[in-house]
Amino acid sequence: MTSEAKTHAIDISSLQRDNQVLNLEEETLALEVKDLKLCYGDNEALHGIDMQIPKNRVTAFIGPSGCGKSTLLRCFNRMNDLVDDCRITGQILLDENNIYDRSVEIAELRRRVGMVFQKPNPFPKSIYENVAYGLRIQGVTKKRIIDETVEWALKSAALWDEVKDRLHESALGMSGGQQQRLVIARTIAVKPEVLLLDEPASALDPISTLKIEELIHELKKDFTIVIVTHNMQQAARVSDYTAFMYMGDLIEFGVTDTLFTNPEKKQTEDYITGRYG
Amino acid sequence: MRQSFSEWTKSGAPWVWLNAGAVAICLIMVIGLLSLIAVRGLGHFWPADVVQGTYVENDHSVRLIGERVQTEIVPAEQLRGSGVTVAENVEEMHRSLMKVGNRDHGGTDFIWIIDDFLGNKEKPEMLFTAERREWGNFYGYLRGIKEEGKLVASHDGYESSPEYQILWDALQNRIERVTSIQEKIDHIEKGEISSINYELERLRLKERSLQLKEVVETAPYQAITDRRLELDAEYESLQSELLALYKAINRDSITAEIANGQVVELKIAAIVRAFLPNDMGLGGKLVHYFQKLWEFVSTDPREANTEGGIFPAIFGTVMMVLIMSVIVTPFGVIAAVYLREYARQGFVTRLIRIAVNNLAGVPSIVYGVFGLGFFVYFLGGHIDDAFFPEAKPAPTFGTPGLMWASITLALLTVPVVIVATEEGLTRIPRAVREGSLALGATKFETLMKIVIPMASPAIMTGVILAIARAAGEVAPLMLVGVVKLAPSLPLDLNYPYLHLDQKFMHLGFHIYDVGFQSPNVEAARPLVYATALLLVIVIALLNLTAIQIRNHLREKFKALEM
Repeated sequence: MTSEAKTHAIDISSLQRDNQVLNLEEETLALEVKDLKLCYGDNEALHGIDMQIPKNRVTAFIGPSGCGKSTLLRCFNRMNDLVDDCRITGQILLDENNIYDRSVEIAELRRRVGMVFQKPNPFPKSIYENVAYGLRIQGVTKKRIIDETVEWALKSAALWDEVKDRLHESALGMSGGQQQRLVIARTIAVKPEVLLLDEPASALDPISTLKIEELIHELKKDFTIVIVTHNMQQAARVSDYTAFMYMGDLIEFGVTDTLFTNPEKKQTEDYITGRYG
Repeated sequence: MRQSFSEWTKSGAPWVWLNAGAVAICLIMVIGLLSLIAVRGLGHFWPADVVQGTYVENDHSVRLIGERVQTEIVPAEQLRGSGVTVAENVEEMHRSLMKVGNRDHGGTDFIWIIDDFLGNKEKPEMLFTAERREWGNFYGYLRGIKEEGKLVASHDGYESSPEYQILWDALQNRIERVTSIQEKIDHIEKGEISSINYELERLRLKERSLQLKEVVETAPYQAITDRRLELDAEYESLQSELLALYKAINRDSITAEIANGQVVELKIAAIVRAFLPNDMGLGGKLVHYFQKLWEFVSTDPREANTEGGIFPAIFGTVMMVLIMSVIVTPFGVIAAVYLREYARQGFVTRLIRIAVNNLAGVPSIVYGVFGLGFFVYFLGGHIDDAFFPEAKPAPTFGTPGLMWASITLALLTVPVVIVATEEGLTRIPRAVREGSLALGATKFETLMKIVIPMASPAIMTGVILAIARAAGEVAPLMLVGVVKLAPSLPLDLNYPYLHLDQKFMHLGFHIYDVGFQSPNVEAARPLVYATALLLVIVIALLNLTAIQIRNHLREKFKALEM
């Protein structure tokens, strides 16, 4: 089968990506998932996932609705603990330590693995206080340190120029796109190692989406990023690796360019060519 | 085009009319209620004209001086039955209630008269009204002023003249003098002497507690005795000062002619204010009106609560409601947070919720009984045993008081706060909580920094409802702390400043007391309306303050509409 014969929904070559084909063996690992199973009551949502997430790369999870990609993402910072009768077996290793170990301090884990949600969820506080929240929780009280971190985080989230004159106004007066970048700034202000993005642009307009995507590209230098997205173009544009999930199973995991141009599995090909999903 | 009845029904128009009608009826009732108590209550302070006339009944004629309070129509038959001679062709007659005052001379200050029997009606400008510290109002003609028993000025006749004006001005000056002396006396009696008494009592308790602890050294006893001697000396000097003041205040008196022509003597010290109601212009009446109104809200009651002001009752009501809010808010919020955030949702939490809701429906007098039995006798009794053994057998907290009243009402209103807070907590979006948790905050930090501040408007709604309920509650208070007349305010300058063990006055109870327990019902009736109006105003003000705070919080946490 030649590449011309396929009808791809996405033209990878036109994206002119700068990163070349990456090899998983050459990467340092940030997270390692081993035989992860998750049940909601009697209903198994993840059927034994094995996966390795490389450091300082963007990994995208794609798949149809209800395939378990958000559930998997929420396992990385133990957000599923909040759900009643949710049981998890298997391991997720962060720096070779199982995050589901009894000795793990959940608040500490969430500081190391930050998360940005689908809808912007700023706190009803000022812009400054939103970004400073995580620091204050950690007990940082020195104003100078907080000031510097807030500025750094807002600059990293490409928001500083827009808000530097109204830092002490309510965050709720910002536009949706700004709010989402504020939430990203808030998350990176505590300097996590891994950044989980759960469909971060799905509630935003195209221009805001573009800004978020540019931001992801920038943040890759400092953070390991895992992004869940419905939008395959977005996955193709921003990610280095892509995982395709279906019905609670990891079907295929690979370098993004390869996965989109030359998928190994029939299910993956069907999905990215738009035959279902 | 004509519409058929069924079409009209379908159009929803009758429904709209029905709704509008129901709202209109509610509005009319509320406005009617408020205007009734406002008119009846506020009218009382307007200086009424004083009428003089000759009253002839059964060939017996007397001069009558008084204010007309109310008029009604009675059937002539009824009057004939009670022995009044009424002409044959008359069917009904007007009957009026006159306030004739001078209770110390006539025995009663209100009488019913038949209007037709009152002849030669006039309103002499010379007639004066004096409000007194006791015995109610005085009506009469000013005849003279005496200083130390000697007549210094006098006037005869019934026509106003420049001389009379001079006499009148002299009286006003002397009343002013008396008022300022009275203020000094009050200051000494209610301020300094009461402080000394308070300290003496504390010394006595201290001594008793030393005795109870079986302390044998003499030094502490000696210190107490020394201090007591100092206080006694201070008391003596104040007492002699008082004596001089009392002598000064009793120097002047007036002579006045009353309705039956008798000339009586009256101490100026007994007069609060004197005025010529028939000689007053509109401006004068207005000034008088607002003075009376101010006196009503700012001074202590006199004469078994039927005269003077109701300030202690306002103060007690507000104080009690504030203390109640301070107790009920944290209590209700903590309970709601546990129920909603920490407890496993299930059968038990459902049961607790039902219990809490039912608690709100328990009649308030039951809370009063519970408060008296549990808080006052049991808790208070044990507190006295443990902390105030020196005061026994007199109870300190083992008797109804401000604290127990506030706690009882807090218990009465806590369901409202719990329900409102739970409502508020459920409405905080999950996304915001998760946002905080994802930043490494613990559940507790998330609650304290995000969830509870965001739920604060709902909490305030609960507090508003609690205040509205508690401020109007009287029945339980009668058992746990309210009295007819409290000797002092629960907040003063004597350490520890806030006296939670003291009994207090309350507007709601004041209405009951003045209206139904008063020896002088006729005099008290307008005060019932005025007090009721004030109670409504106080509750409205408390509520408005709380609503203001809530709106401010709402503005701050608008994120709920995400």
